[in-house]
Amino acid sequence: MEQVRADGFDEFAAARWSTLLHVARLLTGGDRQRAEDLVQEALVKLWFAWPKIADQAPEAYVRTVLVRLAARSARRRWWGERPVEQLPDRAGPVDVSSAVAERSRLEGALAQLSPKQRAAVVLRYYEDLPEAQVAQALGCPVGTARSHASRGVARLRQILSDAVRPMT
Amino acid sequence: MDDFERDLSRLMRDTQQHTPYEPEHRQRLHAGIRTRRRSRLLWKAGGSAVAVAGLSVALALLPNLLTRAQPADPRPQPATSPTTSPDSTPTTEPSATSPTPTLQPETSLPATTTGDITPSGTTTPPADPTPTATASESRTGTTPPAPPPSPTPTTAPPSALDSEEPSASAYTE
Repeated sequence: MEQVRADGFDEFAAARWSTLLHVARLLTGGDRQRAEDLVQEALVKLWFAWPKIADQAPEAYVRTVLVRLAARSARRRWWGERPVEQLPDRAGPVDVSSAVAERSRLEGALAQLSPKQRAAVVLRYYEDLPEAQVAQALGCPVGTARSHASRGVARLRQILSDAVRPMT
Repeated sequence: MDDFERDLSRLMRDTQQHTPYEPEHRQRLHAGIRTRRRSRLLWKAGGSAVAVAGLSVALALLPNLLTRAQPADPRPQPATSPTTSPDSTPTTEPSATSPTPTLQPETSLPATTTGDITPSGTTTPPADPTPTATASESRTGTTPPAPPPSPTPTTAPPSALDSEEPSASAYTE
């Protein structure tokens, strides 16, 4: 029973790891380490709820957990940096591409939003969720979620106007 | 959705890197699961221990609380007997204040020479009517003292005695 549970959970984690990590990275404004921590914590929570929701909507569950964890982590005043022996994520030759520059601009712009606005924008424009599901994930009324998304987009428009337009 | 929103959506999707789920991620995840499971077990065990300790303290203190909060022993009920004493008959008390007093045995006392039957059923000797006279004096106050009953019915008519019945009935109590 435990093995079946672990197998199904591992399959889900392996299939959704990359997407969840990207969502977490967008939600944290590009902080990769924090994004990995958030995904890890969300998947740990999912493990304990797995028997109940494995057949229903585990992705919606983990997405909601991720959004709330990101909002909570953004309220913490200090995210400590731990010294390590080796520098992680050294920039390789591929990382100097324009894609990385775009991603950096996007993440830098997202980082200037409030956590709620950032989550609403990511869920609405990356996950392409309807407003009702965005509100459900944020834990707020639909009107509030719509307000967060529209204000976030307006702020991003102001920040990215000169960065996005040339690409179209 | 305007052009900027479409571009924003495309930019968010295009910047996604494929990050494989590597064994180290899996190990780290399962290590986190074990840690969380252990902490949950510890929380449950701690909660159970606190609950058991609380119950034990409550059970230990409960007998003391019960004995402390136990009401006093019930007051002994007055012994009841088939014969009702004059001071235990509350039915005679309203007659002291009621304008229509009930007929008392003393009213017929002066007219009879055979004796008085008290509510307790004992027969008082007819030759000693002084308790009635003293009681009526002390009770009535300004009212003229009733003449002491005498065996002769000429001292007071029965109707006059009926009007002073409250004092007489009060004495019987």
